[in-house]
Amino acid sequence: MSGFRGIAAISGYAETPFSRARVDKGEPRLTAEEYYAWALELLLKQTGLEKKDLTGQGVGIIGSEWPHSEIWSAEAIQNLGLEPKLLVRADHGGANAAALLVQGVLAIQAGYVEHFLMLGADTPLSITGPASRTWRYDENYLKPFGTMGPNSLIAMAMRRYMNDYGAKPEHFGTVSVVQRKHATLNPNAYLKTPLTMEDYLNSRLISDPLRLLDICIWVNGGFAILLSSASAAKRITDKPVSILGFGEWHNPNAGQPMHDITTTGVKIAAEQAYKMSGITPRDVSLFQPYDDYTVAVLMQIEDAGFCKKGEAGRFLEENDISYQGQLPVNTGGGQLSAGQAGMAGGFLHFVEAARQLRGEAGQRQVKDARIGLVTSLGCVGFEGHFINNYAVVLGGEV
Amino acid sequence: MSSYPKPLPEVTPLTKPFWEASKRGELLLQRCKNCSTYIWYPRHICINCGSRELEWVKASGKGKVYSYTIVRQVIGNSPEFSKEIPFVVAEIELDEGARICSNIVGVKPEDVSIGMPVEVFFEECTPEISLPKFKPAR
Ligand SMILES: [Zn+2]
Repeated sequence: MSGFRGIAAISGYAETPFSRARVDKGEPRLTAEEYYAWALELLLKQTGLEKKDLTGQGVGIIGSEWPHSEIWSAEAIQNLGLEPKLLVRADHGGANAAALLVQGVLAIQAGYVEHFLMLGADTPLSITGPASRTWRYDENYLKPFGTMGPNSLIAMAMRRYMNDYGAKPEHFGTVSVVQRKHATLNPNAYLKTPLTMEDYLNSRLISDPLRLLDICIWVNGGFAILLSSASAAKRITDKPVSILGFGEWHNPNAGQPMHDITTTGVKIAAEQAYKMSGITPRDVSLFQPYDDYTVAVLMQIEDAGFCKKGEAGRFLEENDISYQGQLPVNTGGGQLSAGQAGMAGGFLHFVEAARQLRGEAGQRQVKDARIGLVTSLGCVGFEGHFINNYAVVLGGEV
Repeated sequence: MSSYPKPLPEVTPLTKPFWEASKRGELLLQRCKNCSTYIWYPRHICINCGSRELEWVKASGKGKVYSYTIVRQVIGNSPEFSKEIPFVVAEIELDEGARICSNIVGVKPEDVSIGMPVEVFFEECTPEISLPKFKPAR
């Protein structure tokens, strides 16, 4: 498949304010249901659509930490009063938004629906019931040894990455510091206090070599993104953001008992996305890689082809990744500083890309933003490699 | 119920032979009868060739540290682990060609390194479960 242009576009996006449910600081403590409702209302306002315009269209919803009903997509549309023709649910963790986007654009390309509404909200800081049970391989073969979820697995990937490629703490710090700078220019970011490299290096070790400032910050929040056919998108907005290409790959090297945990499947996904869209890494004006951890950003800079494997550290020394630089990265602060809304965290990168490509990013607007690349990662596997991997190429007026 | 305060693996029909052997101080690995691939963690099918003919075989118990981390804060696991902090969680590449996650003990955390040769020993947690742990190879 090549030349995906002119088929589907992001025709609207919405992001609620984020909260850490600190009622003592005046922050709201809302449920996931409330965030879904809030995000949908914001999207309807932005697009000017009425809810009935979405009847008989597509809806995709993510799994959330709570409520984790077996019939969650049904419960959610009942709560929201939606009546779709196509209803899908994603369970790809950090890659949930990318997973829904690919399913949505394929349904639009097939002509099955004209619109596909992507919904994602989560409230990791105010779970009102038992949290979802985690993965069996975690319960049985990791936790008994004192692993602390993804923190421990990613810390080991980071150690191995530093060992193999000579990356230094300052390289990870650059990602943390620059993304915080972006967050200071993003009114909706949760962490807006400027950071210095010294702050990064002094931040406490959670799981050597992983520091506190290498880790994203959980927030409660919700998102809605509307995908539409190219012609329908033009009726909704004069600034549709075209889906130019995409790729995905799951559980790379599945048959091997040992994985190189310093390379992500984004390498394969990005190759597909570049081929489908007919662009190269040089054409990318902004890059929104999944950033649950700083090391993931370095790996994706390499795997998406901006430099050779192992050279992201040097790339960061020689290039500016701020919104004014050669390769603007996570221009809204990303999950490291704007916040990770639990299982909806991966929506952030698509919303920020759409905002930039529509020229709506305010003080942090990238000049001449034409092509955006979003890469998403989901599910840290047994050895610390990512199972779900996506790349999506987005474009403004082409 | 056991009084062991930290999480333990569940013993299933699939993994019973492994945990039985652990009590005897033997580390087992699954090996595919069709393609000889060694597998950890335990599966119902060979991840390489798709054969369900997997057998438990005794492993050497020797390997090298592929990567490791020094855990300094308990997040999302038993608070009991806070008594042991700092401790080392590692991925160990076994000589047979499979990777297992465990702890490296009997060495200061700062003296652990990638590539360090290690060997298995077993820590009895309950009458049913002895966990395979690793220490520097002699
Ligand atoms: Zn086999």
